[in-house]
Amino acid sequence: MANIAAQRIKREFKEVIKSEEVAKCAIKVELLNDSYTELKGEIAGPPDTPYEGGNFVLEIKVPETYPFNPPKVRFITKIWHPNISSVTGAICLDILKDQWAAAMTLRTVLLSLQALLSAAEPDDPQDAVVARQYKENLEMFQLTARHWTNVYAGGPHVNSDCDEKIKRLVDMGIEDHQARAALSSYNWDLERATEQLFS
Amino acid sequence: MEETKTSSQGGESDMDCSDNECFDEYYYNLNDDSDIEQIDPRKIDPEYFEFKCLFEEEVDRLLNETVETLSNILQISPSLAKVLLHTHQWNINEVTRKFHENPSHTLVSSRIEPATTPNALLLTRYTTCPVCVTPQPLDKFYSLTCAHMFCKDCWIMHFEVQINQGISTGIACMARDCVVLAPEDFVLKHLHRPNMREKYQQFSFQDYVKSHPELRFCPGPNCSMVVHSREVKAKRAICDQCKTVFCFRCGCDYHAPTDCQVIKKWLTKCADDSETANYISAHTKDCPKCHICIEKNGGCNHMQCYNCKHDFCWMCLGDWKSHGSEYYECSRYRENPNIAHESVHAQAREALKKYLHYYERWENHSKSLKLEEQTLDKLRTRINQKVMSGLGTWIDWQYLFTAANLLAKCRYTLQYTYPYAYYMDAGSRKELFEYQQAQLEAEIENLSWKIERAETTDRGDLENQMDIAEKRRTTLLKDFLDV
Repeated sequence: MANIAAQRIKREFKEVIKSEEVAKCAIKVELLNDSYTELKGEIAGPPDTPYEGGNFVLEIKVPETYPFNPPKVRFITKIWHPNISSVTGAICLDILKDQWAAAMTLRTVLLSLQALLSAAEPDDPQDAVVARQYKENLEMFQLTARHWTNVYAGGPHVNSDCDEKIKRLVDMGIEDHQARAALSSYNWDLERATEQLFS
Repeated sequence: MEETKTSSQGGESDMDCSDNECFDEYYYNLNDDSDIEQIDPRKIDPEYFEFKCLFEEEVDRLLNETVETLSNILQISPSLAKVLLHTHQWNINEVTRKFHENPSHTLVSSRIEPATTPNALLLTRYTTCPVCVTPQPLDKFYSLTCAHMFCKDCWIMHFEVQINQGISTGIACMARDCVVLAPEDFVLKHLHRPNMREKYQQFSFQDYVKSHPELRFCPGPNCSMVVHSREVKAKRAICDQCKTVFCFRCGCDYHAPTDCQVIKKWLTKCADDSETANYISAHTKDCPKCHICIEKNGGCNHMQCYNCKHDFCWMCLGDWKSHGSEYYECSRYRENPNIAHESVHAQAREALKKYLHYYERWENHSKSLKLEEQTLDKLRTRINQKVMSGLGTWIDWQYLFTAANLLAKCRYTLQYTYPYAYYMDAGSRKELFEYQQAQLEAEIENLSWKIERAETTDRGDLENQMDIAEKRRTTLLKDFLDV
């Protein structure tokens, strides 16, 4: 790994650890290897959003040309958000692509991701299904996102109606996550989700 | 293949000359020659187009002249003048006007200067570069007009990474949310590796040509020529070097009488899977109960869905139970809501039929043109045989090649009339178009027939036919080529 990249990551790692956001438990980074090429990030779901109370784990890969190229970041924790793929966790965010600047840091990336959770951009979607639900049925979107936060990110809001519907599908032999994804895509319409799963 | 550039007739019929070059030569001569009456060539030839093929050095010279002019007018460095011209599509009058109106706004919107005045930085003798986080002596630091300071090594790395990603004129400052661009002189001052400098210059040259409305790269493979024309129109340009023929405006294959948007739509349509979808829609129906897609490949109209075992009538999609033995009269079920469904199918089938009509003809002519080499080979063999058996000399038969070239040119135009017709609205104009198209097609077939069977004695007749075919072609273009 290029010297400058390792040097920067070492420094940024310290910056994040000492930052006030860490003190407030809002963001966190962990090193995964000694060469500073892979890190684990964590962000807390922002208050007054469906993600509140959840903890979201990120995979951060540092390219050799860092900081002249952006780090590669994706969500490990499953999340229901228009700009994040509900399947792969891939993120659509300008600063991780062409709007990256060498003077940005891991801390700015994590804070920007947190901001993305508070303010989605459904017109520039990564996940078309989620984005459509967000635009057409905001309430349904919030319910779904809250439910996903509860199940995958340890959020506090249990939705027994969702759980009940998923259980019905699981009883039919469908895998838990597959059932949730199908129901989420069809606005929790059990009949249509079943139709899609069995066709 | 050697081409005969001479044409036996003078005046207007010079049009049957198959090579555009000799067209141009003809008209250029006409313009030079004061003895001949000045005629506007645009009126005679709807495809008339003045352009010039330039080598890279000539383009460089042309661009640099513009840069120098602007730099003199505005009293700014050539490097900044280049950025201004690049962001204003090389429109020197527009830049000058805007600059005189509001110089600071022009510099900000062209990303030469920052929108807000930069803060004066507190700098000590040793400063830490925010990118590489290494403390370094102050004289190692450089910034753009935005005053964001970074060390020389980081600037170089930044430039190299960007250039390796194909970015040149668009390299921006490394600070967050700063959009100020690094001008050419700044980049070249720091960039020392010869191959990186070369790459940078090559990429920015491409950017400049692409942003210049009067310049087009020749689309020919591995061709570096640039075509220059003051007239930015969908006209036929031919590269001097590789002989590629293309539309000056969109850079695709020349497509008169169809315009750039329509031909793009047509080509996408032809390449698109949506036509497969259309086929499915036209040849299949959905089971009225389980909505599975069914293709009927024979048999009677009493269908049983293989999926849900539902019995229904293929004609009206109604339940078979209510049909009894009267299914041949199921047209009376038109009241059935399913008929709305049916009419969608009928529409799709009609649309497919229309598309296929035009597509088959388009494809046919395209195939004929692709076989051109073979046709010429056949012609050569035939001429050889004739010459061997003492029927004229090789030279006597050369006119057949001229005829074959003209045939190809006419076929080419004819091919491109089909997408034009496909997108035309029904009406008298379309009728006229299709009439002329049919006339052209007929004359082309005549010409093709005559070329295949020509004897030495038929030369006059063949040349007459060539003239007719070309006249039909130009008439159609005169009436419908709208660029």
